[in-house]
Amino acid sequence: MTRAALALAILAALTGCGGSGTGGGDSNEQATVFAASSLPEVFPKIDPEATYNFAGSDDLATQIREGAPADVYAAASPKYPDELYAEGLVDKPEVFATNRLVLIVPKGNPAGIESVDDLRKKGVKLVIGAEGVPIGDYTRTVLENMGASDVLDQVVSEEDDVKGVVGKVSLGEADAGFVYVTDVKPVADKVTAIELPAEAQAEVKYEIAVVKDAQHHDAAHAFVEQVLGEQGQATLAAAGFGPP
Amino acid sequence: MRRPFEVLLAVSAGLVLAFLLVPVVALFLRIPPGDLVSQLTSEVAVDALIVSLKTSLVAHAIVLLFGTPAAYFIATKRFRGRAAVLTMIELPLVLPPAVAGIALFAAFGRAGLLGGTLDAAGISIPFTQAAVVLAVIFVSSPFYVRLGISAFEAVDPRLIEASRTLGAGPRRTFFRVALPLAAGGLSAASALAFARGLGEFGATIMFAGSLQGVTQTLPLAIYAQLDLDFDVALALGAFLVVVTVAVLLTVKLLPSWTRFTLISLAPSARTDSS
Amino acid sequence: MDTLHVDLARSLRSYRLELALDVDGVVALAGPSGAGKTTVLRTIAGLARPDSGRIALGGEVWFDSASHVDCTPEERSVGLVFQDYALFPHMTVADNVAYGGGQAGELLTRFGIEPLARLKPGELSGGERQRVALARALARNPGVLLLDEPLAALDAHTRARVRGELRGILEGLALPTLVVTHSFEDAAALTDTIGVLVDGKLIQSGTAAELVAAPTTPFVADFTGANLLPGRARAAGDGLTEVILADGTLIVSTDQLSGQVGAVIHPWEVGIARSMPLDSMQNHVRGAIESLVPVANRMRIRVGPLTAEITAESAARLGLAPGEEVVASFKASGTRLIPLA
Repeated sequence: MTRAALALAILAALTGCGGSGTGGGDSNEQATVFAASSLPEVFPKIDPEATYNFAGSDDLATQIREGAPADVYAAASPKYPDELYAEGLVDKPEVFATNRLVLIVPKGNPAGIESVDDLRKKGVKLVIGAEGVPIGDYTRTVLENMGASDVLDQVVSEEDDVKGVVGKVSLGEADAGFVYVTDVKPVADKVTAIELPAEAQAEVKYEIAVVKDAQHHDAAHAFVEQVLGEQGQATLAAAGFGPP
Repeated sequence: MRRPFEVLLAVSAGLVLAFLLVPVVALFLRIPPGDLVSQLTSEVAVDALIVSLKTSLVAHAIVLLFGTPAAYFIATKRFRGRAAVLTMIELPLVLPPAVAGIALFAAFGRAGLLGGTLDAAGISIPFTQAAVVLAVIFVSSPFYVRLGISAFEAVDPRLIEASRTLGAGPRRTFFRVALPLAAGGLSAASALAFARGLGEFGATIMFAGSLQGVTQTLPLAIYAQLDLDFDVALALGAFLVVVTVAVLLTVKLLPSWTRFTLISLAPSARTDSS
Repeated sequence: MDTLHVDLARSLRSYRLELALDVDGVVALAGPSGAGKTTVLRTIAGLARPDSGRIALGGEVWFDSASHVDCTPEERSVGLVFQDYALFPHMTVADNVAYGGGQAGELLTRFGIEPLARLKPGELSGGERQRVALARALARNPGVLLLDEPLAALDAHTRARVRGELRGILEGLALPTLVVTHSFEDAAALTDTIGVLVDGKLIQSGTAAELVAAPTTPFVADFTGANLLPGRARAAGDGLTEVILADGTLIVSTDQLSGQVGAVIHPWEVGIARSMPLDSMQNHVRGAIESLVPVANRMRIRVGPLTAEITAESAARLGLAPGEEVVASFKASGTRLIPLA
């Protein structure tokens, strides 16, 4: 009898402390930010206190749909935030940055790639993002703009997020990959970036929105404000992002 | 009134069972039954099925072919460093799959240990179906070999000795005595290894990449389709569960030969009558 | 019949096994468990390797440490019957017997196990399994037969019956045969020559009768079922020796020995009477009957430190009951003395 009572007491104590209850505005809590995988180097610089979950923007959208406890959603494309807004899951999204694509090759350039044309060389191992993942969609747009969609025949792997592409090229196992220019700096010692013609670039817009069911509403709004504010914008620019 | 301790045991068992079954059942409840079959005939699904089937079967054949004699050798020979060998076999079991993927790159990738040799021979492994096979072998063979060793160890060494004194060399002894008696344990090991290989994800997506029709196995297809077409992902997931359960059940229901290792110790059915 | 020459030495955990033996008939290796008997069989069969020695059947050398010969078990012409028979559980009786090659049919008939041919070992009784194991070992036409505790796995009733059958079979085979057992009775029943192995050494060998009549060590005396009374001996004139037993009793023996000895008296040489008999038996021990045990058509009676064996008739005539005071008597000439310590 005493043992059971003790167990119950411990259980109650555990659930009692630490639990934040439902909804409400706890201004002292940090925000949980779901952000695209091209943002892990820059977002923590804007707000080191927030809790982050980085993944492909499409994955994050699915998670939010399934009820994941996100407070803020930041995607590398307007597609998913707009969808979630239409579904009533997030507040109206706002553009907070832009980006552009580059072609990267491993340092040492084993396949001798100097341009998109060179990707047509026999046996070239090209890695891109999968369809539905923002980087994947952007890559296909850019290639179409350049009239080089045939290059897609050289694809050996379609990654679930941009870091997968970065990883395979950094390891030296892929000959080339399409990533954001902002992804280059963290791995500058392992890859070389090849610029793409400005007119072929896709419109890469990053959008951010507060999740309607956010547990930390105040913190969420504060985060968004930070990103859109002067400091945030400066940090983004320093990392290589374009203005919204 | 049952004793509280026994009630606790039953409750624990019930909780574990429920925890394992509920997600699986929920998965099936989510799919409109008619949809399941139609989703599975989509191009993505069919491609994934073919890739998984090919790579799993090839990988498994290799695991059985090399793993069985390996397990027998380790089970029956006393040699120095045996404990270390056993640990090495178990290593891939505890290695995070993504790490396994990187390890495979480190070994067979272009920049890897054997990269130069493979390159000279004109062979490139990453991002190919061969890479999928290697990844599957890497994660599933420890299951087979480890359990296979136990299966062979369970064979009464006296029987092996008897075979030798009856004029059978090591080879005949293996095929006529050791293998049949270990067959029960080996089939169970095989089923587990196959199921594990079928569900392999991390090492595959790293080392082989994901390309529909080439390297996109069932688990990789599920992951890719999760955001694109959730229904296809569900259908593929359900299908994977069905196949895995079928494999495991088949082994359980096949006549088991494991009984025989205990026969010599069991009380006899006939008694000596004078 | 070829002779099996066994000459081996091997260091075991607590002692050193050293054995030199020539087997050209049915020979028993008897002794307590752990004496190394099974190791001897395994060594002959090639399942264990001695540190040094030579094992050969006639001119065929199976092991010779000097010339680095070490044949594998399958190369040696041995038939080994394991203690628990080691029948292949997944094969039928017929397949088991046929495993070593050769004709199973004839052996099945010879051992009377033809009706069992399609059964699996798990469905057989102990006695049946033994016959299958024997048939299997012989199917290969081995040059040597090795039996490890052939009767140990049987219940008492079956054991008695099988003992007799087995003797006949072994005699009929005309093969050098080595039977390992911890039971003197089994050894005596199955073989002509018994070697007693203790702590890795052969301490005595001979026929069963020889071992019983003239044990050279207390162990052999004990092993063969004789009485052993420890005491201190000194010469007593007339070619006799006096022995003072531990409890102070004085007995006399015609053997000549002095110092710490063990007096060996066979149970059937001890007479029982209600009062001191007036005859030529010279040694008397008074005591209360501790137990009365019928054994076949005789009665084993324990009086003090002595075990006597008299006919059931005599026992009935005397009307003995436990607790009664009797006198156990035995001749000085029937009292063997062996050195102790």
